[in-house]
Amino acid sequence: MRRVLVVEDSGSTRSFVRAVLESADRTDGVGPCEVVEASCGFEAMRLLPRGPYDFIITDINMGDINGLELIRFIRKSEHHRSTPLVIMSTLSGARDVERGLALGANAYICKPFTPDELCAACGRVLSQGAR
Amino acid sequence: MAGLVRTGARHQRAARRAGEGGKRTEYLAFTLAGEAYAVQIAFIAEILKPPPITEVPRAPRNILGVVSVRGKLVTVVDLRRRFQLAESPIDRKSRILLTDLGLGEQIGLLVDEVLQVYRLAESELEAASALGGDQPAHIAGIGRPPGQLLVLLDLRPILET
Amino acid sequence: MLEVPGGRGDPSFDKARDEFFSEAQELVDGLGRDLVALDQALKRGHSDPEIINDVFRGVHTLKGLAGLFGASRMSVVSHELEDVLDDLRLGRVELSSHVLDALFQAVEIYNRILAAEKGDGPDPTADAEALLVALGQVSEHRGGTGVGLIAQYDLDPGLLGVLTEYEEHRLRTNIQAGLALFRIRVRFSLATIDSALDDLKEKTKPHGEIITYLPTGSGTDIETIELEILMASRALLHVLRAAIAGPQVDIEEVRRRTAHSLAVQSSLPAAPMAAAPAPRSPVIRLDPTTDAATLGGSGPPPILGSTGLPALRAESTSARGSGPAPSATPAPPPGALTGPVGVPSRELSLRSVSQTVRVDIRKLDNLMTIVGELAIVRTAIAGLSDRVRIRPELRQLGIELQRLHRSFDRHLSQLQNGILEVRMVPLGQVFDKLARVVRQISREHDKLVKLSITGAETEIDKLIVEELSDPLMHMIRNAIDHGIEPPSEREHVGKDEVGNIVLNAFQKGNHVLIEVEDDGRGMNPEAIVASAVRKGMVSADEAKDLTAQDIFALVYMPGFTTKEVATDLSGRGVGLDVVKTNIAKLGGVVDIVSGVGIGTKMTITLPITLAIISVLLVEIAGRLFAMPLASVGEAMGFDDRQVRTLEGREVMTVRGKSLPVCRLARLFGLAATEPASTRSFVVIALMGNRSLGFVVDRLLGQQDIVVKALGRSIKSVRGFAGATELGDQRVALVLDVAALIDEVLAGGESRFMAAALA
Repeated sequence: MRRVLVVEDSGSTRSFVRAVLESADRTDGVGPCEVVEASCGFEAMRLLPRGPYDFIITDINMGDINGLELIRFIRKSEHHRSTPLVIMSTLSGARDVERGLALGANAYICKPFTPDELCAACGRVLSQGAR
Repeated sequence: MAGLVRTGARHQRAARRAGEGGKRTEYLAFTLAGEAYAVQIAFIAEILKPPPITEVPRAPRNILGVVSVRGKLVTVVDLRRRFQLAESPIDRKSRILLTDLGLGEQIGLLVDEVLQVYRLAESELEAASALGGDQPAHIAGIGRPPGQLLVLLDLRPILET
Repeated sequence: MLEVPGGRGDPSFDKARDEFFSEAQELVDGLGRDLVALDQALKRGHSDPEIINDVFRGVHTLKGLAGLFGASRMSVVSHELEDVLDDLRLGRVELSSHVLDALFQAVEIYNRILAAEKGDGPDPTADAEALLVALGQVSEHRGGTGVGLIAQYDLDPGLLGVLTEYEEHRLRTNIQAGLALFRIRVRFSLATIDSALDDLKEKTKPHGEIITYLPTGSGTDIETIELEILMASRALLHVLRAAIAGPQVDIEEVRRRTAHSLAVQSSLPAAPMAAAPAPRSPVIRLDPTTDAATLGGSGPPPILGSTGLPALRAESTSARGSGPAPSATPAPPPGALTGPVGVPSRELSLRSVSQTVRVDIRKLDNLMTIVGELAIVRTAIAGLSDRVRIRPELRQLGIELQRLHRSFDRHLSQLQNGILEVRMVPLGQVFDKLARVVRQISREHDKLVKLSITGAETEIDKLIVEELSDPLMHMIRNAIDHGIEPPSEREHVGKDEVGNIVLNAFQKGNHVLIEVEDDGRGMNPEAIVASAVRKGMVSADEAKDLTAQDIFALVYMPGFTTKEVATDLSGRGVGLDVVKTNIAKLGGVVDIVSGVGIGTKMTITLPITLAIISVLLVEIAGRLFAMPLASVGEAMGFDDRQVRTLEGREVMTVRGKSLPVCRLARLFGLAATEPASTRSFVVIALMGNRSLGFVVDRLLGQQDIVVKALGRSIKSVRGFAGATELGDQRVALVLDVAALIDEVLAGGESRFMAAALA
């Protein structure tokens, strides 16, 4: 079973992602995942050393440290520099998404997304491995 | 003996302070209607000469009134009324013990006379049950420093209500 | 109903859906609160970027949620709204009352959409469409802001690379406003970072704005984290250093690259730069690397997400239906107030920033306490002066002392009034919220209601305003729910189909009165009495003697709150006891006047301030008590022979009117310490439209005092608002006149006595 860290300040979005990924199918290339939730950047930083995680999904617009800062931190850290990383953000955050990708995120999924889209995105980063 | 005094952070701190030379706890002894009582000194913030006490009409009988301590209002409780002991007027030996149990307000206890501070070792403490029968919750036990007999009080049951 | 694609029936999806509703509702409520705050700030000529960003984030989250849970109407509204808010927070569109109107409208539509999604509301599509049109009109003029400003600063490209667009905008705005930048490095333990960071935010807040927090990744083990904080501030380095000093904190000013900055400056509009200070430090290095726009060397990675949208579409926000291309309209300087000319209004906005200070109300309380202590000193000086003056040999000294005392007295009252003034805020703050409530509730109940407000400018203590919001909301809700008839019924009885609710506020002496008046059904006294008798609240016999006022007072009784009763009566009662309790906590009272078929008027009478009050000191059975002067009408000699007893109650006649009398010594059970004086007094207290004469032994004079709360252990003792120190360590209890009047007049058999008052 794969382990994923979901960083997102909206509780219901986290629940949604959890519901999707816990019941994901092998055919997506993801399979059922163990979902670890972080409700803000700091919580994510606390949870990161307790990894490993097979992949990480993060929001950009969060209250404390923003997703970009988190991505940079993740990419600099020894354990997670190559962990596949997916940004979830809305279309209007295009400029921020671009930066996130430049900082080393592997993919981006546009909110809102369907369960299929989420699984497909995760499946793809997992099969590619981190850059 | 473990159940003698409630364990609280304060108590533990106080116990640690007194820790040199065996497990000793500091108690402040005072008299009420001729009887000697004591409370852990950790809960006493200050000992005051009684300022004028303003009675509060319709307050519970135990409550003597309010005083101002450096601009702060403090409620004063008369332990003698609480324990149904004989009352005597406030005189030059009377004191108010300003207690702080961390309940959000300091409460003053009027006592007839302050005796002294005792550092009691565990061997000098006795459980309340030594008095026989069911003792009220505010009796924590008996202290036996040489030549004295102190009723140790647990202030929480008295002041929490 | 909502449908989660591919996940229906799955319990974990059901849980997510439940969470969706509660989270969405919370977000919408939060939006409403933020908008009111923005509105208030706007009325004072400010704009609060932090709140705008909060609103943006709220809508942003709502949009994401709506999409996930298939709430398409909400999704569409959020999408448009987010664009507008993004423009607002990035300074492309200015916040005007027009824009705010549209945003307020959006909050209502959100509420209706949520209700409809849950299946208990009408289809809000039409309203949503109207809103979309309004939003489309909002962002007409937009344009770019000064680019390159940031490059003047010696900032780490790594840091610039992780700024979100919003953070970058705030950075630019602060630079343009002439603030200096500071880099703070601070180490936190990961376990306590939330509270430690809050602490740091608290310390920095008075000095400026934190732009971003970047974990440096260096010096970090599993337990600790080092953050680089970028902050903009007007303060000097040593001031900031003193404010946030700590062993794990390191702060330095971010230096400017002088030569570079000059080059950039010339290409910028003159007005904003004129406000910027001269470069502070010499050239460090001339390195043109870090323009934010050129970051991120590696090629674009694969874009995922099969939403059918092409790649990132960085320009997509400008593809909206209306509005010219971004470059078409030159943007006004961000942060500028709406004004006829760009440059002067720019200056105005800068000045207004620097002339306003936000103060924690506790600090004001503290000052007030000090003033109170000074008032005690003043009284002591007065006493001293009196004693000196009666000594002939000290006469000259006495006169000087008296002069000093008068001057001290005058300045002290000025100081006191000054502080009170600072605490005062207009009632409009809470009225604005009510306007929204009226719109919302009248729609919920399919009623047509027009709200008229007068006296929104009436000022009252900030603490009181905050506590007023709930009770007023309740009263308005009641007025619409039970007072105003449905349009058809109104037409039937010959009223305009639009019901009226009038909210009046005005000052009257030391009180502020707030009236909530409707022209609805009114309350039927007979129905109220019948219900009260049925509930056993009064006996049938007692009921015969109740006055109209007594009867309306019944609706405030805790038992009188069931929905069934309220509807029966076409009256009130839902939770009005709570209203009364809350108002009483503020030292106020509520009165009702109502006429069947005509309407109902509820009047709240409140003290203007809670801090210092003037009191009348009285003596009762040898003890001192203070009566707030605000509730004292007059005092006069009391003669036992004037008292008659009616139904076991004492009443005296004052200027042809009956006045119920309360002997405080008896009420308090105080035994006289000395023989009763031959002469005593009656102090007539007034609260709302009720009055009561308190019999006291002596009047000792008037004094300004600071009321202090009684300790927890005696909070429950009735009749006292607190106590005060009089100097010489004596303490006097302050009577809670409102509660005493209530107790005496409303208690048991005394209810009849109020009849004498009517």
